[in-house]
Amino acid sequence: MAEKVPVALFVNGENRQVLVDPRQNLLQTLRADLGLTGAKCGCGHGVCGACTVLIDGEAVLACLALTVAQAGREIGTVEGLADDEASAALVQAFVDCGALQCGFCTPGMIVAARALLQRNPRPTVEEIRHGLGGNVCRCTGYVKIVDAVRTASGAVQP
Amino acid sequence: MGFPPTVSGPGALKIENSFLVPAPRDRVWRFIQSAEEVGACVPGCEHVDVVGEGKFKARVRVKVGPIKALFNIDIERTEEEPMESASYSTRGEEGGRASRLSARSRLTLRAAGEKETEVAYASEISIAGRLGRFGAGVMKKKADDLGGQFAEALRQRIADTPA
Amino acid sequence: MIYLEPESVPEAVAALAGDEDARCLAGGQTLMAMMNADLVMPSTLVGLRRIAGLHEVTETEGMLRIGAMVTHARLAGEERLEGARAVVTGSGGGGDDVSISGRLEGARAVVRDAARQIAHPAVRNRGTIGGALCHADPQADLPGALVAAGAHVEIAGADGVRTAPVDGFFVDYLESSLEPGEMLTAVLIPEGPQGAVGAHLKFSRTDGDYAIVSVSSVVAMQDGVCSYARVVVGSAGPAPLHLDAADALLTGSGLDDAVLLQAGDLLAAAADPVDDVRGSSDYRRLLLPALLARAVGAARERFDG
Repeated sequence: MAEKVPVALFVNGENRQVLVDPRQNLLQTLRADLGLTGAKCGCGHGVCGACTVLIDGEAVLACLALTVAQAGREIGTVEGLADDEASAALVQAFVDCGALQCGFCTPGMIVAARALLQRNPRPTVEEIRHGLGGNVCRCTGYVKIVDAVRTASGAVQP
Repeated sequence: MGFPPTVSGPGALKIENSFLVPAPRDRVWRFIQSAEEVGACVPGCEHVDVVGEGKFKARVRVKVGPIKALFNIDIERTEEEPMESASYSTRGEEGGRASRLSARSRLTLRAAGEKETEVAYASEISIAGRLGRFGAGVMKKKADDLGGQFAEALRQRIADTPA
Repeated sequence: MIYLEPESVPEAVAALAGDEDARCLAGGQTLMAMMNADLVMPSTLVGLRRIAGLHEVTETEGMLRIGAMVTHARLAGEERLEGARAVVTGSGGGGDDVSISGRLEGARAVVRDAARQIAHPAVRNRGTIGGALCHADPQADLPGALVAAGAHVEIAGADGVRTAPVDGFFVDYLESSLEPGEMLTAVLIPEGPQGAVGAHLKFSRTDGDYAIVSVSSVVAMQDGVCSYARVVVGSAGPAPLHLDAADALLTGSGLDDAVLLQAGDLLAAAADPVDDVRGSSDYRRLLLPALLARAVGAARERFDG
């Protein structure tokens, strides 16, 4: 076992000190050390999007981020989005549209959609599809998810 | 994004090839009886020990870019028809790390005139554990490459050894 | 494993020295995946994020110098990646990102077009040009695009800095010509021939997947005659596939369908693709001439306009 090293992380607006194996990825740290289990481990190699978090405002895959390399960065997880108005609207739209079934991909979808709407507040259907292209859902077939993001963007009425 | 996904599985990797060696069949046969001689032709082979009749232990290093492994392997001759063919069963493990490999291989000799011998080999290799997660497509190319290097080394070594 | 974050290139080179299991961490979009799978186990990881110069894009002597840590997302939106302007306008195919302003023209656009088709937004936000090159995966998009653009790589080592054409950088699957203790610091992209158009055409199972076959091309035409062609095929062997003979066939021709097919057949004969879940070796070889015809045919049509 490698010797653990201390890292100062800034997560959801709070300073958090963790002691981690230098090989550890951010997803492991969030889930195991910080109890933030919203981000999920679907694949561990960057193809499913279930671990999407915000780092300095951009959508990033937590499983491909080395924890010790995140010192000084602003990390936002789905838990931290609860107080944000735009995110609340997204969550509500997911509920209203029935955009989830098992829910495993939902935290990643919400974070990726939040980042998309930040860059592009009124995306077209095509842009939503590309924006969420890295987030895999095995249940819904994506139609309702795209509907939810359009609804949250104000493009259509719920 | 990631790397090619896992498709290696039991029997996923098959390599076969044949090549000509500039020596008569009885000489090639004697050559392949020697673990030391054959070991010297296997790319990445650092060490071979004869541990019994038709039983060998070897240490082999393999590398694909940044992916490196050192296998301790046991080889056992399972069948032999003098001057014609030999079959081997191979089992290997990485020291302390979680990959295992097993292989069944067959080597066949055929006289191609008086001074040349055709050597054919076929191997079915399965890899489990961490290296099993590496893309089978590239793994197969790498295995073919190693097979080619083995053939070249064997040919060279026999040509360089006085009869 | 030891993790370091040097603040200058010489410090990073010093950290790499004398340890062949030390590796650089750029965006980590492949290295981390390989570490998660225990495929790669570095002894020392040299994080490059604090080296300011590696994040810069500058113009020097007709070259656009792109720092190794520049992300795919930045490349995809980089306005200067156009090179000498073409008269025609239009856009390349595939993976359009909402953050991109649209029009892609000039020889250098082949790089931008490839960058915007890499994986998905989250990967493009972190993945870097330097990381993508050093991983030396012939199935990736940027290696072929940079060969098509005639790019050079800038490499730092204990003896200083050297530059070399990117063509020779890719040696084998996952193997570059970087010597132990060296690191890639920048990619230099020439402006390219006047009026050329560059595009990256990718054929994949799904949007964002690795290419089954990809074609990166830089083509110029004058009065119906091809005045410049450089075509490179990805996912076709251990390194991006580029044949002077194929370029020579296209150059001077009218880029009619027969010539395109001839060039495609030449490249297909030289291809040695892998057999895997994305496609068999034979399938990839069959696709190649059709894709080449589609890519270069699209370029020809832009000049017809």
